Amino acid sequence: MLSDKDLAGLRTQQFWSAALSLPVYAFVLAATRLRFGYRFKDLKAFQRAVWKELDAHPGPVIWAANHLTLIDSFLVFRAVFPYSRAWSFRRIPWSTPEYRNYYHLGGPVRQRLIRALLYLCRCIPFLREGEDEASVRWRDAAFEKCVWVLRRGGSIFVYPEAGRARNGWFEARRPKDFLGRMALEAPEARFLCVYLRGESQAYTTAEPRRGERFRMEFALTPAVLPGETSPRQISERLFSELGRLQDRWWRGSRLRRNCGGNDVVDLRSPRLTENMDPRSGEADQEWLQRHLTAKERDYLAAQPAEKRFATFWKFFAAKEAAHKALAQAGLVLPLGAFLALEADLFRRKVAYRAGDVQLDIAFTAEDEDKLHCVAVLRGGYIGDDHNPGDVLWKVAEVPSGRAAGEFVRELCLSLIAESSDDIPSPDALAFGEQDGAPVVLRRGKPADWGVSLSHCGRYAACSFMIS
Amino acid sequence: MAFKRKEAVIEATDLNTISADEAERRIIAGVKKYATNEANWSKADANTPYLGYIIGMGIESSNLADITMSIERQFLTKKTRRAPLPGGGANDFILEDGELGKLRILEGQDALAATPGLSLKMLMDLGHMPKDDAYLGKVVSFAYIAAVGDGYKLNDALRKVLAKMDKLSGPEREEAALNLKSMVEQAKTYSAQLAEPAALASARQKTFQNDQSAHDALAKELSIVLDKIKGASSGSDASRVASLRSEEAEVRTRLKMAAAKLNVSREVAAQAGRRTAAEQAKVDEIRRLLSETIAQAEKAA
Repeated sequence: MLSDKDLAGLRTQQFWSAALSLPVYAFVLAATRLRFGYRFKDLKAFQRAVWKELDAHPGPVIWAANHLTLIDSFLVFRAVFPYSRAWSFRRIPWSTPEYRNYYHLGGPVRQRLIRALLYLCRCIPFLREGEDEASVRWRDAAFEKCVWVLRRGGSIFVYPEAGRARNGWFEARRPKDFLGRMALEAPEARFLCVYLRGESQAYTTAEPRRGERFRMEFALTPAVLPGETSPRQISERLFSELGRLQDRWWRGSRLRRNCGGNDVVDLRSPRLTENMDPRSGEADQEWLQRHLTAKERDYLAAQPAEKRFATFWKFFAAKEAAHKALAQAGLVLPLGAFLALEADLFRRKVAYRAGDVQLDIAFTAEDEDKLHCVAVLRGGYIGDDHNPGDVLWKVAEVPSGRAAGEFVRELCLSLIAESSDDIPSPDALAFGEQDGAPVVLRRGKPADWGVSLSHCGRYAACSFMIS
Repeated sequence: MAFKRKEAVIEATDLNTISADEAERRIIAGVKKYATNEANWSKADANTPYLGYIIGMGIESSNLADITMSIERQFLTKKTRRAPLPGGGANDFILEDGELGKLRILEGQDALAATPGLSLKMLMDLGHMPKDDAYLGKVVSFAYIAAVGDGYKLNDALRKVLAKMDKLSGPEREEAALNLKSMVEQAKTYSAQLAEPAALASARQKTFQNDQSAHDALAKELSIVLDKIKGASSGSDASRVASLRSEEAEVRTRLKMAAAKLNVSREVAAQAGRRTAAEQAKVDEIRRLLSETIAQAEKAA
């Protein structure tokens, strides 16, 4: 329960933010246009469409958007709210920024200025980390404040993912329950789902590049549907809706949507044992240092001796697969830049260290003879124990006398043709090159399938994405 | 007991006592065991790519580091004394003149060493051996190795579709013909781009601009972390400051990597805008091959 002091504080903040909404909005406009040179595609038509639906629903609204940069709240607000509506005080959303990220920035003067701006922008600071009593109490109070706003017909802006998506992709199949909980407290509310992204925004950054042009998609949906009783049900629907908007956004994008990679390692290949003994796990340290970061080397050293050889090549396959997925997104790594990638085999992630990017990885065909890894940057789901995901792959032995590069291409075209009723035979497809990465052509057009090829020793492998 | 390399001991040679041609011969010989395309390896010269099967030696990515280590094992240098890198961190150093000793190629220094000739250029640029302008004159730059390599891949893909065309009929042939036409258009565009150094440079600028944006974004992240540290330092939360300091170190490492990548793409973009006689010859050769394949494809489609 909120105390009288909390409520008085909220009312005061509401009063001042309403009273100063015009100058604050003018500041947001000037910053986006003059300082950053940002532009919004078909802004007026977008705002007309949003407000046509908002005007038909006088009740509370929960804004839910994808999250890629630190200034997304301003950008989404700028995209949705025309200046002419700045007087619609009730509609101006309350935001929920992370306290540690925004409330202690810079020296005393800067901190005060930022805090004043956040106060006027109706921010309710959240503490997302920490399980101690104080942190939990803080979170509960912030949640109560949001509910208080909604019950009075106001609007709340929340990022369903709770943080920036490190792969630049809104993952609809990993719902978080927070918004579902909030919706159950204010069932009469609507979700204003917004997918906003700069046209050249490949992955998470602090802010979009200058002169960026944004495109937006939106949907207004009920917060709770008849029969929905659990936060998870609601969150799953909300995440699916945002996923659908994301799909719509990507249909109009020039960027490659599906970015996946794969890598196969023939563990019996004699070329792999030159610097590491498969049985004892002893390795040439200099060679290890050229491939693995300090953290990865620590992990390797903690493995039982007989597992070190396979573990090293797991790191290698993960990095190679990630490297191929990144190349499809235009992030081409220099030759031999193994240390620019850091794999976490336990969490099944690879971090691209020269950016702030994370990819998902999965090991598929794995036995004593070989390893196969797939990586996904964006465009689909890597899969889990219950869901096979969006990556199809195949590993096969290269027939004797065949060139591995030629064989793997045929393998891949056959796999794609077998996987679709619409493709009569592999001959209807062909391999081409696009920006240095392989691409499959269908009816003369490059198909956005995130195709990846790999071969090592006796094995060839391929993967593509069906999302 | 430390693991020992299973190979014959190699007598390392002082790089200052042999010619560039001799060093090139040794580098090529040193990577033989990793080459899966014996035919291309056996006729390899300064401009034969280590990687790739069509015109390259067919070395697999799992042996990439072995190329550099093979070069290190074969040569000695006087650049052995560690000196702090101006403006670098505690672990950053450069190698300056000292006692004759083992050659060390530091992280990122071999980023453009895609051929034996480029490996030697790297050694000369780093001061491990004297500059030999006559030799460097025949070395094709990384930008052109990559661009010409793309051309061979395109030509190969085109030939594969072309070879299938006669065997196909009905809807499959129609679809294959559409693919072929599209590839022909791509090949023509590519060939036209290759003909003009300025056009190629402009295409390479795209990667450079992407890398520049990535670098700027990280610099912004760093400034935010520094702001957070400044803010947290005025409070009493020592663990928060320590956690932010480690975040700062991580962002600085990332920024260093982004800067190294930016340098590579800047150099590649600059190289693409110039053209030596050796590069022109490579360009002419792939354009001639492509134009023959395009002519055949246009007939077939």
